[in-house]
Amino acid sequence: MSLIQVVDLNQRHGSKTTLKWVSFSLEKGEVFGLIGPTGAGKTTLLRLLDQLENPTSGKIFFDGRVVTGSPRLQTQVRRKVSMVLQKPVVFNTSVIDNVAYPLKVRGHDRKTVAETVNEILKTVGLEEYAKRNARTLSGGETQKVALARALVTRPQVLLLDEPTANLDPLSLDMIEKLVVQFNREYGMAVVIATHEMAQGQRLADRIGVMMDGELVQTGKPSEIFSTPTDLRVARFVGVENILQGKVNSNRESLVHIDVQGRDVEAIANRFPGDEVHLCIRPEDITLSLRGASTSARNSFSGQVTGLALSGALARVQLDCGFTLVALITKQSAEELGLQIGKQAHVSFKATAVHVIGQ
Amino acid sequence: MTELWDAFVEALRLIVSLDDEVVSIAWRSLRVSAASTALAALFCIPLGGLISFRSFHGKRLLINIIQTFYSVPTVCVGLFVFLMLSRAGPLGGLGLLFTPTAMVLGQALLITPIMLGLTISALSGVDKTIRDTTLSLGASERQAIWAIIKEARFAVGAAIVLGFGRAISEVGVAWMVGGNIKGFTRLLTTAIALDAQKGELVLALALGVILIAIALIVSLGVNLVQQRH
Amino acid sequence: MIRKPLYCLLAVLVLVALLIGTAGCSGETAGGMLNPVDRLRVATTTSLYDTGLWGYLEPKFEKQYDVELDILSGGSGLALEWGRRGDVDVLTVHSKTDELKFISDNYSSERVWFAYNYFLIVGPEDDPAGIKGMTPEDAFKTLYESSGGKFVSRGDNSGTHSKEKAIWKAAGYADYNALTDAGAAAGWYLEAGKGMGDTLVMASEMGAYTLTDIGTFLAYQSDLQLVPIVDSGSILLNIYTVLICTKGKNQEMANNLVTFLTSAETQELIGDYGMKDYGQSLFTPCAGQPEPTS
Repeated sequence: MSLIQVVDLNQRHGSKTTLKWVSFSLEKGEVFGLIGPTGAGKTTLLRLLDQLENPTSGKIFFDGRVVTGSPRLQTQVRRKVSMVLQKPVVFNTSVIDNVAYPLKVRGHDRKTVAETVNEILKTVGLEEYAKRNARTLSGGETQKVALARALVTRPQVLLLDEPTANLDPLSLDMIEKLVVQFNREYGMAVVIATHEMAQGQRLADRIGVMMDGELVQTGKPSEIFSTPTDLRVARFVGVENILQGKVNSNRESLVHIDVQGRDVEAIANRFPGDEVHLCIRPEDITLSLRGASTSARNSFSGQVTGLALSGALARVQLDCGFTLVALITKQSAEELGLQIGKQAHVSFKATAVHVIGQ
Repeated sequence: MTELWDAFVEALRLIVSLDDEVVSIAWRSLRVSAASTALAALFCIPLGGLISFRSFHGKRLLINIIQTFYSVPTVCVGLFVFLMLSRAGPLGGLGLLFTPTAMVLGQALLITPIMLGLTISALSGVDKTIRDTTLSLGASERQAIWAIIKEARFAVGAAIVLGFGRAISEVGVAWMVGGNIKGFTRLLTTAIALDAQKGELVLALALGVILIAIALIVSLGVNLVQQRH
Repeated sequence: MIRKPLYCLLAVLVLVALLIGTAGCSGETAGGMLNPVDRLRVATTTSLYDTGLWGYLEPKFEKQYDVELDILSGGSGLALEWGRRGDVDVLTVHSKTDELKFISDNYSSERVWFAYNYFLIVGPEDDPAGIKGMTPEDAFKTLYESSGGKFVSRGDNSGTHSKEKAIWKAAGYADYNALTDAGAAAGWYLEAGKGMGDTLVMASEMGAYTLTDIGTFLAYQSDLQLVPIVDSGSILLNIYTVLICTKGKNQEMANNLVTFLTSAETQELIGDYGMKDYGQSLFTPCAGQPEPTS
């Protein structure tokens, strides 16, 4: 049985619809990444999961019981779920009192509270700040206090709303490690909302992509990454090469697609006449100077129109009737002697082409 | 203008010489107003928390009504409490009229609107995220309200001080339901009114100076306590 | 845990409220709720209070009968209302018409007079209306007809105020309201709506006439630019009576107070009161004698 099951949630705030027919489930111990652009409804969904709002329609099950509409059960659920808000606020008291708060509201005795709080402060590295007024801390430290405060009760579920937006890389790294550690050690399930695909990929077992209040695709990070079901998802997860085309023929799922007069082969269940989008990830494209002798079914020659280095990688833009971006190592770019205006061959496998309907 | 100066000198003399009569009246004023303030605070702070926490129909209207009662004349409250506590009134059986307890009740009623209203506006000044944070951390409604009150403790403290100020400086209620009985229900304000009526203007003014001094000390004391935390 | 501070605070506040409330009740005079003592409530007209007579008699009575005497000072109108509602046990007032009505309405069974003095018409020394030496009735008539002087009225339904009304009536102005409206419109008749002391101060400041009891006038005289203008005439007679309220709750002690006020010793004290401060007595004792008529 899923820990949390969400069925057909709709949420309206005034005339604005923020969630449309959202359904998904969260398993025990799972890290679920909720990605999507700002305003997609991630925060609303988290608030609903934390019972801070009631949905306009739809149901939320926790451990198999319907929670929606029962204030008593909602308080019970809140005690098993912790949420770190996007811009966390701390109480105008000491760091210790802030972190102790959730334990106090649960009626733990003084000794347990003191021990547990000290332990978690050590874990997040805030022992030195224990007596400081929490309002005087920096952004990163505030975020740590908020996280410690959320983790101190060892919740079954941790909800994180953009936890690392505006944080320095060190704090980000520490917070991600902490989340992973609690997930591994205590089997704590995590829902992390982020607009950063990379963070989702790093942390999540599964990812749900939200667009305009809808949960448009759910799956393993690699699936979302390689086979987005939707053009918007494709763009959001960073598919740089999205080509428009029309299916010419289909033989046992090997389709020929006409892209601006060029023939591209792909594996898909599409039929002649279908208008489609083709997604090709830059790292799946191979570059060579001469006609390739590979098994790749798609091979085109074109002219280098752009070249940019980023770290150990080189991003090459080519015009081969349509624009393609390829990602190769910096070393191979040098070996090939690539420069703008130079002719090059690109090739990619039919299986590297992901086809989306229009 | 010499009268003003005389009043100051007289006030100082009364304070320095610890005039029995004045000390006992001042002490009684302080106790009665402190009790009425405590009673009102006990009622207003939780209720204000509830009103500000919950959303319901007519909330705006309710707050407007409460604010309207900020300016209720003290004599009207005094009359109302008098009619309640008079032996011919509904609560006459308690025998509270013309006692300090009656003044405590009357003053508490008098300052309830201002304390309630100011508590509500103090709490509405607290970041709304605090509410979500407390709930999300597992607080019940009552615990969340209490946390919000704690966040607004300075503003709530100011509301209490203001209530105390209105209680200790009012004369209508104390006069109507206390009766200004010497040694029993005579407060600084009713003593001032009586002395003024008797033409003892300098003494009246001196008592006024003492009253202001008490109010000042109380408000400074509260500020000090708050700043230490 | 979170409940603890909340309830601690609540408990402390309740405790403080109760302690202070009851401690306030006990007061400096001991007793109150913690140690109940016999209390007697007397509502008195301001003139008996502001002259200090009650302050003078109070400790003697308290000592003699081991009782707490709560003296509430208000105009006769308010004092009578307290009596009607049963909020006080005894009244000491000086408003015969109201007293008779009070008795006929069964709020008291008898009026016992214990002292009297005279009202005075006081005014500026130069007597702009020229009423010196007249009878009170003629003086009021002259005030009305000439436009020589202003008159400040208590206007508060006190005993003094009802005496003023009685004089207007005797002077031939039966409709008091019409008189005051006309007088107010003409600007010579002013209602102060305050106690005797305030009214005297006001009259002095404005150079106006007013009707006053002698006790308050003597107490204030040194601060006033006013002198007695008319001081004789049977209508100025001011009789102080004590009434036991049938709705009061301490009838026995109320009887004691009447006995005290009419006793020979107290009567002597009343007769002497004022000699020390003003060089003349403020009240003439009259208990046990026929009701004075002039």
